[in-house]
Amino acid sequence: MDFDVTPFTLQDMAASLKSWLLILSILGAFSLLLGMLLCVARNGAAGIGIFFKGLLGFLNDVGSVSPRRIRALTSLTLKEAIRRKALLVFAVFALLLMFAGWFLTNSNERAELQVGIHIAFILQTISWIMMPVVFFLSCWSLPEDIRIRSLHTVVTKPARRIEIVLGRIIGMGIVTLTILAVMGGIGYLWIVRQLPTEAKKQLTCRVPVFGHLQFINPEGQPSLKGINVGDVWDFRSHIAGNSRSRGVFVFDGIDDSTLVTGTETGEGGSGTLQIAGLRMECRFEAFRTVKGSESSVRKGVTAQYTLSNNPREEAFGLFSQSETLRPLADALRDAQFRTAANRMEELATKVAADGEAAKNKQNLELMPADYMGLQLGSVYAAGVMRDRKDVALESAATAFQKVAERGGDLVNIMASNAEDKHEKIPGLHEALSQSMKQLASLLDQEADTLHEHLPKLEVVLPSFHVSEYHEGAAENVKFVPRTVRFSADAETQCRLLARLFEMINETGQLVEGAGLKSDLAAQLESEGKISVANANLVVEVLTEQLASGALKVDGSKLVVADGQRWFHFFDSLIQKDLLISAESEGWMIERDLIKDLTHDGYLRVEVACLNDQMYLGMARPDLFLRKPDRDFLVGYGKALVSTSLMMLLIIVLGVTVSCIVKGPVALFFTFTFFIVGQFFHEFMRELLYNPAQQGMGAIASAVMTAQHRNPQVGMDVSEATQRVVQGIDAVPRAMLWGFSEIVPDFSVFNSAAGFVENGFDVPFFETVVPAFLIFLGFLIPCVLIASALLKFRELESK
Amino acid sequence: MSSVSPSYRCSVEPVETFFFVVFALQIWAKDSLVSSVFCAKRLDMSNDAVIEIRNLSKIYRDFWGRKKVQAVKSLSMDVKRGEVFGLLGPNGSGKTTTMKMLLGLLFPTSGEMTILGKAASDVSKNERIGYLPEESYLYRFLNADETLDFYGRLFKMTAAERNRRADELIEMVGLGKARRRQLKEYSKGMARRIGLAQALINDPDLVLLDEPTSGLDPIGTREMKDLILRLKAEGKTVVMCSHQLADVQDVCDRIAVLFQGELKVLGRVEDLLEVRNEMQMRTSNLSDAAMSDIREVLKKHNISDATFSRPRADLEELFLRTVRESGERPGRRFTTEEIAGKPGR
Repeated sequence: MDFDVTPFTLQDMAASLKSWLLILSILGAFSLLLGMLLCVARNGAAGIGIFFKGLLGFLNDVGSVSPRRIRALTSLTLKEAIRRKALLVFAVFALLLMFAGWFLTNSNERAELQVGIHIAFILQTISWIMMPVVFFLSCWSLPEDIRIRSLHTVVTKPARRIEIVLGRIIGMGIVTLTILAVMGGIGYLWIVRQLPTEAKKQLTCRVPVFGHLQFINPEGQPSLKGINVGDVWDFRSHIAGNSRSRGVFVFDGIDDSTLVTGTETGEGGSGTLQIAGLRMECRFEAFRTVKGSESSVRKGVTAQYTLSNNPREEAFGLFSQSETLRPLADALRDAQFRTAANRMEELATKVAADGEAAKNKQNLELMPADYMGLQLGSVYAAGVMRDRKDVALESAATAFQKVAERGGDLVNIMASNAEDKHEKIPGLHEALSQSMKQLASLLDQEADTLHEHLPKLEVVLPSFHVSEYHEGAAENVKFVPRTVRFSADAETQCRLLARLFEMINETGQLVEGAGLKSDLAAQLESEGKISVANANLVVEVLTEQLASGALKVDGSKLVVADGQRWFHFFDSLIQKDLLISAESEGWMIERDLIKDLTHDGYLRVEVACLNDQMYLGMARPDLFLRKPDRDFLVGYGKALVSTSLMMLLIIVLGVTVSCIVKGPVALFFTFTFFIVGQFFHEFMRELLYNPAQQGMGAIASAVMTAQHRNPQVGMDVSEATQRVVQGIDAVPRAMLWGFSEIVPDFSVFNSAAGFVENGFDVPFFETVVPAFLIFLGFLIPCVLIASALLKFRELESK
Repeated sequence: MSSVSPSYRCSVEPVETFFFVVFALQIWAKDSLVSSVFCAKRLDMSNDAVIEIRNLSKIYRDFWGRKKVQAVKSLSMDVKRGEVFGLLGPNGSGKTTTMKMLLGLLFPTSGEMTILGKAASDVSKNERIGYLPEESYLYRFLNADETLDFYGRLFKMTAAERNRRADELIEMVGLGKARRRQLKEYSKGMARRIGLAQALINDPDLVLLDEPTSGLDPIGTREMKDLILRLKAEGKTVVMCSHQLADVQDVCDRIAVLFQGELKVLGRVEDLLEVRNEMQMRTSNLSDAAMSDIREVLKKHNISDATFSRPRADLEELFLRTVRESGERPGRRFTTEEIAGKPGR
């Protein structure tokens, strides 16, 4: 089961409502037409009058529904269910619970498995015990009333047929909900009491935040798919060990509410601290290409997470989709903006040359895919830069936007069939080339600014093992403290020092007389959270720079002699290897997970496999952030609500069908609806909407079989015959469509149980709300249909 | 406009909106084409008829629509306010079918009928109707109190009203000691009694009784007949169908005799049963001399076929008297002479 649910949005709801209204209209029109035809067939022309009279009477009944009578009929149904011993189900349930523990409880089993088995047993048992009760109650009750004619006495009172139907449904609904609530409560107590103490810790509802998965291939280029290791299932894609290959998960909506309170060992192992942090859980698949000892197999492969905030990757990654643009992409991603300017200049020259070639009707050097890559990459670059709301990036964003627009114009005209396209294309090439040159010039001019304002921050976390058999649940869960301390790379080190010096310089505490302040090292240590050795190193190097004239004192402030910003000054020092830390850990610094590592709620997690010749398989749901867990009772309750809605829907369907046919037939019909809806709904939709599954119709297939032809070449018949065959084949297809629309998708109701059994919270809007809407969507038409069937049925017909 | 009640409300469904427009049109042009097509033609109620039936026919058909039997053929008749009307006929004559059509349990094949001024298909007419079916089709898992309360709740009755009415009716039908027992434990006669009570729960203006004395012992039969007469005295209209001719004769003002779905006889009971070419005289006991004198007088008027005999009580009377006497003097057995010597009524 996949716990990565598709979000259910208002747009989905609107689309569903539209589809529901369409089906309802078709059904209503069909019913009215059928009713009128039957009246006319039986009564001739007078049938039309009879039909409309009946219809008006029916609408009148619908409009004069009385809650008082519905209450009376509901309480009658309740009494009937109780006195006909529907509550005997409790005895069956109790009997099962008394002995289930003998077979289910095995303390040697993994804790999460034990929990899953116990929850599954209770939820399945409740479901399966309730089902016969619900089926028989709903399908047998009204036909039995009609058979023994007790309903005849009721209808000679002022009870409308719709009230009888509603009374039945509500009454049975109350019985069902009561039984479910009691059994659910007993089941909960049983689970809690039955589980061993260790397993009880797993009795929780995980709340996952799933991200989007993309890959970086072994060459370091972005890719939508990973490596295929030959597995027949393409659910997971793999990354290669000990290479540049990465799985990149991008999470959205990360904020303080995503954090959990975890424990961390204090410094020097002195006790544990309760701190906020990010909890990540994975279930990657280790794929080993070499044999090993049992212990190494159990250990699996080594993986490592890198949390990163990398706007350059987001902004310029898309350029690398085109082979020609890849050098440009690499330069941009590495913040080599001057190199990128040269690449852009070269490309602009090629574009201009292509314009000339197009004018002379010669072959172009750049492919259409290159132009598309250029356009899309520029759109994305402009978008990401604008999203950062940084004035310093505005001119670059505008330049990229211009390239995107010009590129778009060119791509559109290249793809069009316009008659004058060959006349326009050279001009558009020229325009694109011009805007690219302007962009190149801007990249060159603002290279330092862009580098400074598009910071890349990477936090490499300690490695861990991934088991081949998904064992070791604890190992799969990683806790990253909110204030994360890590060994900084050169860029991060440069940014840290630049920010630190700008801040101290601003308050005038950097300078003392004509030199640096005497306690500057201590200040750097306390404010920059860097080690004593590194602070001393910085002060030492800066003193030298001051002496050499690279820095000078201006009043109470220290400034770079050539007017550079601190960022570039420190960058040049790092480039000259003047700030290499003497400590083994390097430049250890602290960063805030939410403030520094996310941007607009986005968090990027790169997963690497560290073992040579090994692979790590992953799919989108394989890594998720775990928000604070919810109480098990919350998810369990939601699962019970889903089950209740399913039972209520069965009741609605059963009562509807039983208004027109006898008990056994109603039972058969309703059960068929349930089986088809539960197990074949998805299949029907596959047949209808998946082109790969559609194939040809029955008649077309028969013709092609006779002609020894295949679907690719089609039938060897005249166009008229082909239309006739397709017309005939359209009929069963339309029937399948109709059937798929009127049979409810029961699998929606069961999905909630799967979440709880596997320790996840039930996503309310994606599971419970759709289940409720399906129930409501069937309730309204079913009540009307059932009432009409009962009203226009001769109860005493012989 | 008779088929749509004023409480009709319009909802947002397009189809309903369409018919709401039709409904408005009907009000606007009562005698227009719209009205004639969509409305049941209202029958003339000027003669104070509670039930009016015109050319009513019912054909039972099989699943394929083929005619199986014509149960009612062009039946036309009226039932007037305040009378006890009997529908008579042998089995299969169509009397129960007619009654079920009146109640909307069956749909007529053709013809028109109104009850209390409303179409038979109009559920609101049931507010003023009480119906006792041929067998008591009640919920056997309920007890008498619950049964009456349930049916009472289907009418606009308050809880206090329902309780009071239920107490009265249970007392009336003599089920006071069995009111807490579920109906599945009731005998047939008891079930008929609670069936009668439910039919009267709403104090109806029109009571339809299908074989009211079926399953009742002679005491119950007499009580049922007394009740029918009491209902009549209260101004209610009673329609009963039965093939217990004596019962019908005892209580009905008018009768209709159906045979194979056709109306054969319709009229007042006393008019129909009067033997116009014979005379009957009844006195207290006569002496032999008086008898001889009477014979002489008859002979003088050329009447030779006169017969003299003592009147005979009917078996119902005998049974009732025996039960009454037995109640007063338990353990006593009556001789033929004692029984014959008692006054009849």
